[in-house]
Amino acid sequence: MPAATPTPERPALTVDGLHVTVGRGRTEAVRDVSFTVRAGEAVGLVGESGSGKTLTCRSVLGLLAPGVAVSAGRISLGDTALTGLDERAWQQVRGSRLGAVFQDPGSYLNPSLTVGRQLAEPLRTRHRLSRTEARRRAVELFASVGLRDPETVHDRYPHELSGGMLQRVLIAIAVSGEPELLVADEATTALDTVVQAEVLDLLDRLRAERGLALLLVTHDLAVVAEVSDRLLVFYAGEIVEDGPTAEVVAAPAHPYTEALLRVASLGDRGRRELAVIPGRPPEPGTAGPGCRFAPRCAYATDVCSAGPVALAPVAPAPVPGDHRRAVRCLRAAELALQGAATPDRTEVPA
Amino acid sequence: MSTAALPAATAPPAPPPTGRVTAGRFARRAARAPRSAGRVLAGTVSVFLLSSLLTFALGAVSDANPAAAVLGETATPADIARLDHEFGLDRPLPVQFGSWLAHALGGDLGRSWFTTVPVSDSIAAALPVDLSIAGLALLFAVLFGSAAGIGAALSNGGRLDRAVTAVCTVLGTLPAFVLAIGLITVVAVQLRLLPSGGYVPFGQNPSQWLRFATLPALALSLDAAAGIARQLRTSLVGALRENYATGAVMRGLSRRRVLFGHVLRNAAGPAVTVLGMSVPMLIGGAVVTERIFNLPGIAQLSLRAAEQHDVPVIQGTLLVTVAVVLVANLAVDAGLLALNPAARKASSAGAGQR
Amino acid sequence: MSAVRTVARQPVAKAALAALALVALLAVFGGRLAPLDPLAQDTAHILQGPGGAHLLGTDYLGRDVLSRLLAGTGLSVVAAVEAVGAAMLLGVLPGIASVRFAPALTWVSLRAVDALMTLPFTLFAIAAVGVLGNGLHQAMLALGVLLAPLFFRVTRAAALGLDRAQYVEAAELMGAGRLHILRIHVWRKVLPTVAVTTAHALATSLLTVASLTFLGIGVQPPAPTWGGMLASDLGFLAQQPWAPALPAALIMFTVGALNLLADAVRDADPADHPADQAPDQAPDGTASGQGAGTPDRSTDAPKEKADARRHAHA
Repeated sequence: MPAATPTPERPALTVDGLHVTVGRGRTEAVRDVSFTVRAGEAVGLVGESGSGKTLTCRSVLGLLAPGVAVSAGRISLGDTALTGLDERAWQQVRGSRLGAVFQDPGSYLNPSLTVGRQLAEPLRTRHRLSRTEARRRAVELFASVGLRDPETVHDRYPHELSGGMLQRVLIAIAVSGEPELLVADEATTALDTVVQAEVLDLLDRLRAERGLALLLVTHDLAVVAEVSDRLLVFYAGEIVEDGPTAEVVAAPAHPYTEALLRVASLGDRGRRELAVIPGRPPEPGTAGPGCRFAPRCAYATDVCSAGPVALAPVAPAPVPGDHRRAVRCLRAAELALQGAATPDRTEVPA
Repeated sequence: MSTAALPAATAPPAPPPTGRVTAGRFARRAARAPRSAGRVLAGTVSVFLLSSLLTFALGAVSDANPAAAVLGETATPADIARLDHEFGLDRPLPVQFGSWLAHALGGDLGRSWFTTVPVSDSIAAALPVDLSIAGLALLFAVLFGSAAGIGAALSNGGRLDRAVTAVCTVLGTLPAFVLAIGLITVVAVQLRLLPSGGYVPFGQNPSQWLRFATLPALALSLDAAAGIARQLRTSLVGALRENYATGAVMRGLSRRRVLFGHVLRNAAGPAVTVLGMSVPMLIGGAVVTERIFNLPGIAQLSLRAAEQHDVPVIQGTLLVTVAVVLVANLAVDAGLLALNPAARKASSAGAGQR
Repeated sequence: MSAVRTVARQPVAKAALAALALVALLAVFGGRLAPLDPLAQDTAHILQGPGGAHLLGTDYLGRDVLSRLLAGTGLSVVAAVEAVGAAMLLGVLPGIASVRFAPALTWVSLRAVDALMTLPFTLFAIAAVGVLGNGLHQAMLALGVLLAPLFFRVTRAAALGLDRAQYVEAAELMGAGRLHILRIHVWRKVLPTVAVTTAHALATSLLTVASLTFLGIGVQPPAPTWGGMLASDLGFLAQQPWAPALPAALIMFTVGALNLLADAVRDADPADHPADQAPDQAPDGTASGQGAGTPDRSTDAPKEKADARRHAHA
């Protein structure tokens, strides 16, 4: 486990006090998000759509849509500050130090070019490989992500491949530049269960083999619980809980995490979506001064809505000074929240 | 021979192997794929036959009689009958149509009733004028149109974008001949940069040809250029928002490479269609432009023939124009097919099955 | 009808309608409003600039430009209307009827439409005049034949959609007579589309009439027309470079108003209105995924527009 490996001096990714605003009214959609991802570590961002997890991930990739902007905070990839990079500097980072895979992988490939050519393109333009060298390297990469018959796949157009194969192709492209960080934004969401498990296995393997830092973004707790070491739960633009996956899943400290776990019902996929959290998250910019989850929270009291709630270390800390778990809930210490049966893969103590 | 390949060529593209999401995506994509080669050819042939029928019918319903026209008031019935026989006008109409079309396909469009010069000779002399100027106009349209469209898309919402949109809107209401008059007034009369009319064949003196062809080609091209610019801007802005553009950006490719290597290719389709649509427009506009710039083109030929009721020449020019337009449409379809590998693969796979 | 009211409420549509009303007034009364005889030659005052007795100056024969412009409006507009009327007659009814055509007849009619659409307007009109005799009616009939596919296509498309629409079926079940359904339901839906097409077709035929009269087709020389005035001004560009601007401006004014009106009608009819290109950016950035659907419309819509454009300028 990454916790056992010597901690590198600098994390692969550092996000510090990130604020993201949307639209002309500069509505704050992400507020004061901080976390790090170390080499070889997998961190999962979980939350409903609109919770700010995708905006956080897009900020890391520098792919914010027009009108959406990082208004404060720093994002660093190793030593390089990503916030405020110009177009040319981004080109140096993307595709080499930073890779990404997305939901609906087929749509991220050019429909009129073979997938092999699209993988080879950066190899040829940036690493100046010859045509044959690039092809050999591409086939090698396709084989390494578990594509059977990589020679044939190389000459296929995106529409000739299945969803699972396309996601493997996208992963091969993402790791072709030997990146430090791989961002997977809902990368398994549209895939069926079996393929989903295969792709998660692949990501896990790549992390182990290459010492990749992995940032997984998903609305599905079951997905991150399977691969991530660390879990960040987003609600209404804020991190509400942060901690080692196994601990958070077994004993959530925030009522929202508890509710999410109930919805996801790990280990029993058949019951998913049966339990629904009542109410809706507040629209960005409309949240009250207090806890943003309070209106939907079963445990809320008047204090909760009164004033801002800070992300604080879970008390009592297992070891004094251990800040590995944090929660944004006033009543965290007094509540006994219910976790889920620990999934097989995260049994390893962190 | 081509008809035998038709059923196979029209076979839909092979369905993608698995995955509900991809199946939906590509079903949609296939629906907007260009038409297959077989259907295009069948359509073109039938359209040509119908237009030629229409062209012929135009002559058939006319009461213009060559004998009366050529021989004048003093013609005796015997003279008229002799000339009618000479021109083949005493045969039944279907026979006349059949022989006219058969001869036309063989390159023989008959003879002028007045000058007795073969119509194909007159057209052969006039057509290069139009084709060379239309070619130059197309070149201008593509150059100006794509430059303006790409620039506008890149500055999406910016000053350049708004300027291009405004200019295109104005050009859209300006008929080619008003543009032509404006260009003559400014460039030829006021600035005296280029001649206001006349023509030198390209083969004779290319640089002189360019001097005379530039203004008419410019006048003809601006409207098409505006159409291309608008279309290209719309589809580029749409395509730049598409995921595959994001995918290319994430591969670390430069902005220029993403645009020219990936987005442009996929977004060019509708602009190519607009370009194809502008060919009949260019030829339609050419009639007036030829008159303004005093070019010895096919429209002047047709105009002169119309004044004299010279039916074979009128029919010949119309038929050749239709042929030019259809060939241009075929070229556009070929271009669309080349831009879209899914359709290309499907049609070649279909042909392979035969 | 609600669609008409919605259109009439838009400021752009209001301006366009006002402009067209002005043109229509000129077309009907222009000859009488003319301050001077548009044909009277005043050889003592040829090619005069604006001002004085001649508000907009005189042409190369000393005729009053303003009077000629006013008097020329009628002929140009009436001719354009004539062509569009012929096109509607030839296009709309067959278009609606074609829904019930046998497959073979449908195929032939669609090919015929394609064939008509490959013919360039001006050239075909010249040919028609050449064989049928020089007259504006002949030219306008030819133009009407070539514009008919435009009406045939839109009415056929609208009628096909309606043929499968459930509310028509429901009306049928409720015992409404076929004619009643046609009148109430079909017309209400088809009319806006036909209105857009009519505006485009009018713009097209105005431009074609201008081209033809510019070439001297369909009119006897002294009679004033917009196109004819352009043609005569062309010979005196060195003396009066601004002269062609007057008839050209009048043409652009009318054509521009028609185009604006067509756009306004299209925008007012939600069924015919392609969704906006710009998807709303959701806070979570999910709009980029939904945006993938829009390009499909963008490839179809231009085609339709390009169709109209070809007609607007050929």
